[in-house]
Amino acid sequence: MLTFIARRLLATVPMVLIVVSLTWGLIRLAPGNFYTSERALPPAIERNIRAKYGLDRPWHVQYGRMLSNTLRGDFGSSLRYAGEPVNTILAKAVPVSALLGGLAYLLALVVGITAGTLAALRQNSSLDYASMAAALVGISVPNFVLGPTLVLVFALTWFWLPPALWNGFSRNLILPVLTLSAVYMAYIARLTRAGMLEVLRSNYIRTARAKGLDERTVLIRHAMPGGLLPVLSFSGPAVALLLTGTVVVERIFAVPGLGNYFINANLNRDEPLIIGIVAFTSIAVLTLNLLVDVAYALVDPRVRY
Amino acid sequence: MVRAQHWVHVLGTQALLLTLSACTTGSTHDRYFGKVAPPAGQTLRYITGSEPESLDPQIGNGQPEARIYAALYEGLTDYDPKTAEAVPGLAERWEIGEGNTSYVFHLRSSARWSDGRPITAHDFVYTVRRGLTPALASRSAYMAYEIQYAQAYNEGSAFARDPRSGEFVTPPADPSQRVVVPSDPQARAQLTPEVEAQLAGKTLVPVRPEDVGVEALDDHTVRIRTARPVPYLPGLLAHQFFRLVPRHAIEQFGDRWTQPGRLVSSGPFTLADWKPYDRIVVVRNPMYWGTASVRLESITFYAIEELTTMLNLYKAGEVDALSNHSVPIAWFDSISGLADYMNRPEIFTEYYQFNVDRAPMNDRRVRRAFNLAVDKRALARFKRTAQPLTGFVPEGIFPDYPYPKGDDFDVARARALLVDAGYRDAQGAYDPSRFPIADVELTYNTSESNRQVTEFMQAQWRQNLGLTVPLRNMEFRTFLNVRTKREYRGIARAGWIGDYMDPFTFLDLFSTRSGNNGTGWFEPEYVRMLRRANAEPDPAKRYQLLANAEAYLLDAQPVIPLYTASTSWLKKPYVMGMYANPVTIHPWKYVYIEHDPAKWN
Repeated sequence: MLTFIARRLLATVPMVLIVVSLTWGLIRLAPGNFYTSERALPPAIERNIRAKYGLDRPWHVQYGRMLSNTLRGDFGSSLRYAGEPVNTILAKAVPVSALLGGLAYLLALVVGITAGTLAALRQNSSLDYASMAAALVGISVPNFVLGPTLVLVFALTWFWLPPALWNGFSRNLILPVLTLSAVYMAYIARLTRAGMLEVLRSNYIRTARAKGLDERTVLIRHAMPGGLLPVLSFSGPAVALLLTGTVVVERIFAVPGLGNYFINANLNRDEPLIIGIVAFTSIAVLTLNLLVDVAYALVDPRVRY
Repeated sequence: MVRAQHWVHVLGTQALLLTLSACTTGSTHDRYFGKVAPPAGQTLRYITGSEPESLDPQIGNGQPEARIYAALYEGLTDYDPKTAEAVPGLAERWEIGEGNTSYVFHLRSSARWSDGRPITAHDFVYTVRRGLTPALASRSAYMAYEIQYAQAYNEGSAFARDPRSGEFVTPPADPSQRVVVPSDPQARAQLTPEVEAQLAGKTLVPVRPEDVGVEALDDHTVRIRTARPVPYLPGLLAHQFFRLVPRHAIEQFGDRWTQPGRLVSSGPFTLADWKPYDRIVVVRNPMYWGTASVRLESITFYAIEELTTMLNLYKAGEVDALSNHSVPIAWFDSISGLADYMNRPEIFTEYYQFNVDRAPMNDRRVRRAFNLAVDKRALARFKRTAQPLTGFVPEGIFPDYPYPKGDDFDVARARALLVDAGYRDAQGAYDPSRFPIADVELTYNTSESNRQVTEFMQAQWRQNLGLTVPLRNMEFRTFLNVRTKREYRGIARAGWIGDYMDPFTFLDLFSTRSGNNGTGWFEPEYVRMLRRANAEPDPAKRYQLLANAEAYLLDAQPVIPLYTASTSWLKKPYVMGMYANPVTIHPWKYVYIEHDPAKWN
């Protein structure tokens, strides 16, 4: 197990380097520069800018600098936000996205697992149909429709909740968390239902019942760990994406998270910031996938590394 | 001012969001848009647009930044809250002399930095020199290029000096000036043989910051010398590039001097908090020379780009005023009649430009025909917040400027011009099939509103000239590249926001061959006309000369002027002292919250 974890962690390094290299290449391919604007700059000013940020150096020097920065975990300073270190930006934006995403996923897990389990236990009942219909709606309605609709009702018609803005852990979180969690809630409910249905029909559950265990123990001790495996594997990438920012919800609710930075960094061709965010996201995805694999081994006795 | 709004259409859903939200606007029938409850005390909550690049006024060059800088920094001059024309700022008065090339500014003796140190003439000299330092790489440095040797210093150029006599080489035509030798090898290769001969045997001395034409005559007097007549200089000095920055804080903290706790301000407010992508909070600066008349205790600037979010916050009463262009067209009908809607023409021209080097647009008759065939009044009605233009300088901005008229909508004349240009059949009638339409396309940067205008224009030319011009859209930065290098065929979209309150900020676009003039049209006669106008000491006569130059430009038709935009924003009725001005930069010291509803507007 430990060897497995160590091997996977080691493999993270080349993978992140490949990802940032590809990203770096794509930024080069995109036309325009961080300083390009509607106004054409006098050539001398452009020269001054290129010299200041080392853009006048040969490409391999710039590439080498980017790689060594990434390896040291210091991505340099943003080009757009003059002089602001990328690490400072990440340190400010990541907790915001993580709080929003974490709460959203927590809510999705609680509601999704409960609804999915109940639906599986009462298969083909009206409860099952209702929750699965709700889940279908949750999956089908994109968050850029759900968000404004919630705002319309709760912020602009009844004036109960603020329509946007960030105030840390406050009631400003309610609408963005609901918006963000809806689709995950729906997926988790469906995955739980499918997983539980399969497990509830399996032999070891029949054995457990035959041994005379009460239904509660059967469900929680025996059925759930197996039934929730699909949710577990779904959770790795889902949590990684949630924690690293969600562009649409962050823009609609003016949340100062990583998603806002990421979209603007791309539009602004802000190379160090793009590289920083991409590296951070890839590390998050790889780490969470590793955690999920480890958790698999803990939950499912058939899995061995 | 660079257009800083990057309209991000998240997954192309803008239209959907607008429609959804528009449903709510119809349901309120009040005089105002949404809640009208003033915040407690004297606190203004304002949405300024995109996240500021920097709080260093010589680094950030966009409008969202300029509005924040207007609170933190003051220049020798400032904007008038209603007209945006230059009014005294840190300088209480000034004199103009030597044929509009010498300017003496007298600073207020009561001016102080927010840490209590006196603001002196030396601080202004430092500010200009710092802004021009090549290592700072300020994108706004060109704003100061009219100042003597400012461009030479910023470009890293050199003077030539005789090693024996120590005399500087001067151009034969004007011995009071020095010859500037560019540092760039390409530019140096273009020097005339006469200048090359002059340079033989001379040593090159780099242009130093002290050579720039800004000097402190004493602690409270600054003299600025310009290379050519620049009668609009006082207006220029209100620009963020010239707003005073604190030498002592910059030298102590380097690049990171703009952090809360370090930033020392020269304006009516000082920095209290800065949370990126969220808010910037400024509070009243008790050291400001005019602090007694500043009524706001604090201003919170929110960095929000999404229009729907802005309007939601405004409607829910979470913010008190919005930046310009914050009312989308879809909402216009339900909002424009309300008492809190603010609107007026903006210092901005939307136009299409021709690539005059390539056929068929190298023919002036064709260019004129394409201009004549567009019904700009209909376009303005379609745009709703726009006013049609026939000239290039936007109307309604400069009260005393005698705006010359360009060609109006006239299909018959347009067709006659095309017949004249040879696009006719055997009978001599206009024949669109002879027009090389394959060599023309209309290139624009991707945005919903640009697309609507290009489609409108396409329909006009199809109806009136029988020509279907293909449309081609590109991502913004790609587009800029194509336009600047003149790689577009036929026609490209363009827009220009004036840098300062003078018609010259528009007319100057075509006084160089390159740069922002992406048309290829360049006439020495036009440049001479502009120069003559600026040397004129009488403002009224100068405006007339500028108008003559504009008429010359319109006659050559390198561009199709389309419309001037409107500022179009919202302000709660209890926000007083804040006006719709042509630049939408508000001198915050005049703004206050009125708690008595009887006094609201």
